[in-house]
Amino acid sequence: MNVDSVYPKVREIIADVLVIDEDNVALNSRLISDLGAESIDFLDLVFQLEKEFNIKIPRGQLEKNARGDLAEDEFEKGGVLTAAGMSALKNYLSEIPPEHFKANMKVNEIPMLFTVETFCKLIVAAVSEQKASETVA
Amino acid sequence: MRFLFVDRILQLSPVQLVRGIKHITRDDHYLCRDEQGKLSFIPSLIGEALGQLAAWNVMVNHDFRLRPVAGVVSSASLYRPAYLGETLLLEAHIDALDDVAVRYHGVARVGDDVVFSIESALGPLLPMEQFIDVDEVRRQFDEINRPGAWPPLDMANMPLNTPLQDDVSTPTASMSFDHVLSSEPGIALCAEKCITRAASYFPDHFPRKPVLPMTVLLECKLNLAREFLARAQFPEAYRISELRKIKMNEFIYPGDVVVCYLKVKSHQAGELVLNYRSEVDGKRVCVLDVVMTTKGA
Repeated sequence: MNVDSVYPKVREIIADVLVIDEDNVALNSRLISDLGAESIDFLDLVFQLEKEFNIKIPRGQLEKNARGDLAEDEFEKGGVLTAAGMSALKNYLSEIPPEHFKANMKVNEIPMLFTVETFCKLIVAAVSEQKASETVA
Repeated sequence: MRFLFVDRILQLSPVQLVRGIKHITRDDHYLCRDEQGKLSFIPSLIGEALGQLAAWNVMVNHDFRLRPVAGVVSSASLYRPAYLGETLLLEAHIDALDDVAVRYHGVARVGDDVVFSIESALGPLLPMEQFIDVDEVRRQFDEINRPGAWPPLDMANMPLNTPLQDDVSTPTASMSFDHVLSSEPGIALCAEKCITRAASYFPDHFPRKPVLPMTVLLECKLNLAREFLARAQFPEAYRISELRKIKMNEFIYPGDVVVCYLKVKSHQAGELVLNYRSEVDGKRVCVLDVVMTTKGA
């Protein structure tokens, strides 16, 4: 399973959740600024993806993945990303063009960056983790 | 004219389930007449009662600091009206809950009959203080939280079988759009509703932040479906069976003007699906599909 293989289904679900035509959804579309997603749409989207791919996506998983090995206070201070945090975020969200990361970015602004590909990557990682945990069990 | 519909909570297991009842009486303000002219509780408000029941569970669990608001409902099915004199047995199951949102499903019965069900409702949680005084909502909970058993199911004595004398003067509540803006019979319909602060639901929904209840908007849309059918003159007769993919994106406030676009999504043998999109100032506020099936199907 990879981004290419999950993309068609993710695209279909995103179009359905945002009530837009599938033709308007591209791999590099940003959910908020390009497709008009709002907070309730993210809740809906995660639920639909969990149902479709039979996975669990804990709340804040994308931010957690981006943080990687950094402690919370290394990642952000007072709600603003640290230099190390920004570096980790850029590294994790490698599909996002550098110009979209703004200086002094706040943690609650991270979702502004998310693209369709971000969610495809999330699905691939979640499915892979799930399979690994099933194997261990 | 309260917009609080759970008369009594019989059982509340935090983050699991909650059971309660609602009697439908002449003291109810939100009554309507079914196609045979019988008085019944406004159908969408059975869904409101289930939502409010689930909300009590959530609010208790979060010590009344947070409350859920309407968000997404995958499916709500309408089986039959709940008539004057009947008692709704309400049950909501909490499927997932954290500090951000609740997901639940629920069912409303009269006796052994399922009258309404909700599958996979997702409600974001917001600070209680924005909507209502915390002490006030605690007091409301204490009033209705009286654990007990379901009422006995003695179908032979159900009011359904021994109808009350109907009184044509019993007032009913109208939930509809104000006027039609455009119409293509059998294809599409567009209607408008102005939201007035004078509406009877605002004092409870909510004292500090009056917002249009999603279920009121849904009932307006069900009545718009009837208007659409009347104009379409299809050869078959339809009944509303399900509301699907309901999503409320934004609050609707007094003073707003809601424009609703209704169009046929699919029309096959035995089933008609209508798609709705509502906007305020050109921005999407609510979408849903209404599934109608031919009568007798």
